[in-house]
Amino acid sequence: MVSSRQLTNIVSHAYIWICLVVFVLPFLALLSYSITGSSTAAGSTYALKNFQNALGTFSDNLVWSLKISGLTLVVNTLVSLPAGYAIVRHQFPGKRILFSVLTLPLYVPAAVIGISLVLTYNFTYHLTNSMWGLVFAMALGTFPLMLIPIVVALKDLPIVFEEAAECLGATRWQTYRRIVLPLIGPGLSAGLLLTFIIVFNEYLVTLFVHPPGLTTAPLQVFNLIRTAGLAPTTAALAVTMQIVSFTAVVLFLRFFGNRHLKGTYLL
Amino acid sequence: MTADARTAAPNGRRLGALPRLRAPRLRTIGMLAPAILLSVLFLYYPLVFIVQMSFSEGSTFLSPTGPISTLENYAAIVNRYLPNVLVTLQLATLATLADLVFGFPFAYILVRKVRYRNLVRALMVFPMFGTLYIAFGLRFILLPGGPATPLLDALGIANTSILFSLPSVVFAMAIFTFPFMVLNIGTALSNVDPTLEEAAACLGARPWQTFRRILVPLTRAGTVAGILTVFGWSIGTFAEPLLLGSVNEQRALAWTVYQRGVVQTDYGLSTAMGVVLLLIAFVVTYLSLRYSRGALVQ
Repeated sequence: MVSSRQLTNIVSHAYIWICLVVFVLPFLALLSYSITGSSTAAGSTYALKNFQNALGTFSDNLVWSLKISGLTLVVNTLVSLPAGYAIVRHQFPGKRILFSVLTLPLYVPAAVIGISLVLTYNFTYHLTNSMWGLVFAMALGTFPLMLIPIVVALKDLPIVFEEAAECLGATRWQTYRRIVLPLIGPGLSAGLLLTFIIVFNEYLVTLFVHPPGLTTAPLQVFNLIRTAGLAPTTAALAVTMQIVSFTAVVLFLRFFGNRHLKGTYLL
Repeated sequence: MTADARTAAPNGRRLGALPRLRAPRLRTIGMLAPAILLSVLFLYYPLVFIVQMSFSEGSTFLSPTGPISTLENYAAIVNRYLPNVLVTLQLATLATLADLVFGFPFAYILVRKVRYRNLVRALMVFPMFGTLYIAFGLRFILLPGGPATPLLDALGIANTSILFSLPSVVFAMAIFTFPFMVLNIGTALSNVDPTLEEAAACLGARPWQTFRRILVPLTRAGTVAGILTVFGWSIGTFAEPLLLGSVNEQRALAWTVYQRGVVQTDYGLSTAMGVVLLLIAFVVTYLSLRYSRGALVQ
């Protein structure tokens, strides 16, 4: 006989699992579609042919996605590291306001960022045909996600290590490079992870500001669904993107745990 | 030279307790400059630009004689595009409600009963890879002949009546924002002492009373923060109405901004819509910052 307490437990865990299945359902559906769906090029019928087709046809898009993500990671690091350090360790007036001003891009809808950037690129900056326009648009939208974990990590780091290094005669650069950077490493890599999974999967701002001829993989997925309808190769591309992103998250959780993602976009 | 500086540095700086707190003003400015420059050049200036553009008449914005100011773009929104604004708010509200109703029990069970939290966390990142894949996946599932067909047939529902409809759009939006809601409520719940619930039960409170009198008041800050975060993310909805919605849902503001601005190059109207979207987002952000307590910078 099942007691009411056990029954509550069973229902609770069932609820969690139903929700989890719903989260993963779109991915699983696309996965099964990309494996079993018949491609237009009939012929070989082994399970991964859609992936092979997708990786062949869309290799340009994937390379662009990786390139844009990589450049955005570099820009974000160069922007957020010094800013985070100054915000935590230096004294200056208006710190709170400045922090709000710098994290505001997180709260602006992507379509607004897109329309404002496409118009200024067109009429003021003349960046319409440059890859850097896209990189800076991505960096703007994601650098707060890097700044926040860095600020959190630096706040948790006692200042004594830096003082000790200084007392022992380290120069400022040595202290930054040998003491601060390794100690806030996990926080920094949390920011890198967030930037990567967002930029790698971003299609909306990209749709507005992408230069002609540069189509990232998510944008390609979007374009294909809009123009050509559903196709197994498109599903294969979407599945590939999600698997790469998921692998990045799992690797991060494995090496650093979830502590450094607190207060940010992910749990 | 360098050796000199290295040996001299400690003696020179030892007087103060925290040398770094007295960093030269110029160095502070230099360290903050890249971040400030990036946000001014690529966010604040463009926002000012579209606000100006939304207040100027048609093609006069770039004419050498200067723009003619007008309110016609905003008048057009009020007269002709009010349904677009309303449908956006409606979708965001419904998605937020769905998240709240399903998210609160989820967060409660997760915090109080579940030991395999890392697994839950890992699986919960899937929705965060973006609305595009969620909308794509659901569209495939609901398509005639798709995996959901047998189930829908058994229930006597036609595929197309579900596929291009309000519920499927709201469902997709709710999946995307669910983790934000659970994160906010869960953080608040983990700060509530479980003994409070036990005490309430000992004193004869029913589960519903415990929920209403203990849990809801104690987690209000987190719940409000979750509602506002989810609402703020939802008003920018783009792929879900487009791939899963009927003509009615496809009027959502973000998509209209793209359609009007980039496809039809009606800059005045699309920037005005962008400004409306921005204002909604800012109101929501302002409220959420007022309600959220633990600020990162003191």
